[in-house]
Amino acid sequence: MDNNLSILIVDDELSVRDSLSNWFIEDGYTVDTAEDAKVALKKIEAFNFHIILVDIKLPGMDGLELNRRIKSINDEAVVIIMTAFASVDSAVQALKDGAYDYVCKPFDPDAITHIIRNASKTIHLSKENITLQDRIKSLVNVEDIIGESEGILNVLEQVRVVAETDSTVIINGDSGTGKELIAKAIHMNSSRRFFPMVTVHCGAIAENLMESELFGHERGAFTGAQYARKGKFEMADGATLFLDEISTISMKMQIELLRVLETKTFTRVGGNREFKSDFRVICATNRDLQAMVNAGEFREDLFYRLNVFSITIPPLRERTEDIKPLTEHFVKFYAEQMNKETKHIGRRAAKALKNYDFPGNVRELENLIERAIVIGTGDTVQLKDLPLDHVAAKPTWESIQEMEHHHIQGILEKYDWNISRSAKALGVDRVTLYSKIKKYKIEKSK
Amino acid sequence: MSRIKIIPLQFAGVEVLEQMLPLISARFKIETLMTTCRLDLTPFFDPVRSQYNANDIIQKLVPLADEGDKIVGVTDLDLFIPVLSYIFGQAYLGGSVALVSGHRLVNARYGLADDPKLFSERLLKCIIHELGHAFGLKHCLLPGCVMDSTTYVEEMDQKSDQFCRNCKIQLK
Ligand SMILES: [Zn+2]
Ligand SMILES: [Zn+2]
Repeated sequence: MDNNLSILIVDDELSVRDSLSNWFIEDGYTVDTAEDAKVALKKIEAFNFHIILVDIKLPGMDGLELNRRIKSINDEAVVIIMTAFASVDSAVQALKDGAYDYVCKPFDPDAITHIIRNASKTIHLSKENITLQDRIKSLVNVEDIIGESEGILNVLEQVRVVAETDSTVIINGDSGTGKELIAKAIHMNSSRRFFPMVTVHCGAIAENLMESELFGHERGAFTGAQYARKGKFEMADGATLFLDEISTISMKMQIELLRVLETKTFTRVGGNREFKSDFRVICATNRDLQAMVNAGEFREDLFYRLNVFSITIPPLRERTEDIKPLTEHFVKFYAEQMNKETKHIGRRAAKALKNYDFPGNVRELENLIERAIVIGTGDTVQLKDLPLDHVAAKPTWESIQEMEHHHIQGILEKYDWNISRSAKALGVDRVTLYSKIKKYKIEKSK
Repeated sequence: MSRIKIIPLQFAGVEVLEQMLPLISARFKIETLMTTCRLDLTPFFDPVRSQYNANDIIQKLVPLADEGDKIVGVTDLDLFIPVLSYIFGQAYLGGSVALVSGHRLVNARYGLADDPKLFSERLLKCIIHELGHAFGLKHCLLPGCVMDSTTYVEEMDQKSDQFCRNCKIQLK
């Protein structure tokens, strides 16, 4: 992804310039380099770089002086000082002179990524400020949320309203309704989109590992811990923390979670360094948290902390008009994935899907289609590829005429449109059958 | 005919790589095979850092790539590039060679229970990610996309081994 930002790397070591260039090119930046302050200043005068990385130790004019000169040429440029551990004091001086931040060589990839993401967020948001009004009119990156039903459009409207606000969100919905997709949509339309969305599947973590999972642990806290482990709170600094299945966490973890939400600080297991983390919480639940509070199964104070804005995704059976576009979407996706020719949905298959009530929601539909494409042949998903025969037979019509229409159609399809055999099965003669076919405009399905 | 060649370089889990070949091939729609090469990695060891210089190893692998080929070296050794304290892998945008390390993908090194399945999932994501760079893809911000830039091992567990819609279009 191109991010339309430019970086200048000023360092006298060729290997450093090359390594960093490659790193930032892969990140989508336009990159230029300079081996000393003189070359750097020439380039800075000719071009408005967004970010300038300056090594503090340069031949001739040093990084401190270069930083001051940059500020007099282009005071909007974000200057990041690169320094060895030994010269942190001078880096602090550079900060006083207006540098954005500093980073010690060799950098922890996580640390440099974090600084650069923060910088690009600042730059992007200041550029966007003018167009903010336009931007919040429409959502971006929501192509995976399929459907045009009122229910889903309503959900998207709420996403649009809440995305930029940075407030905590609870997403309610039965399992398989796509709560994580909605969380992603909020994240990708918020100013935190330059950072990742960190997901915690609360229900999947063993109680005894929950602390390490969320808070991390220091090197040596456990046998063989050669490297420290970052917890999810730490990973989510600057980012969005998505707590899936929040209703499953224990009472003990509810207290811990509440404390971190209030203070935004924590320590890793086996350590006493205090970490600060700035994250936005989005959580999802398929259980009614208010009811759990009433039953004493969920802390009321935590619930109120989380329940600032709530979005409810309707189950698929309440938005049946979305079944068709969703089916088409999954057919396309899985056919491509498995290199299959499948392009269409047979009429009977489509009807069976439309009549089914999908207790497992969108995920169940997705699984059905995936399976049908695995076992199916040809370019069309057939009813026989779906485990829904019983559903197809389920009557949804009310009048006797409708019933007759569907019954005749079913028999014709059963006998492969052999008129004699179908007529015999129906207990009518062939002429009667022909006239009924004409009356109900029954056609052979493809 | 361009191909993807996977080369184990001081890497113990050759069977793990073998199982990945069809997956990688399907993802890029290119024949993928495993080859061997006798490259001694000791000269690339940096005693001060106790790590191996990824950029220098990559330079040695470049001549092994035939026209249109993409080579991925896979090692258990801990890798670095000059300014960074460690890397999971390295590639050049549109380049022919990538290098991936399994060293920091092992759960036990973080004091957690060993998990061979998780290890191979992480390794596959690394290989596909670096190959993505070799095929010209840049990092992607869409949550879940394999081209998301990950600098910490458990961040890798947050993404899939799949390209998002946008990256898939660019790959074509
Ligand atoms: Zn990358
Ligand atoms: Zn992508």
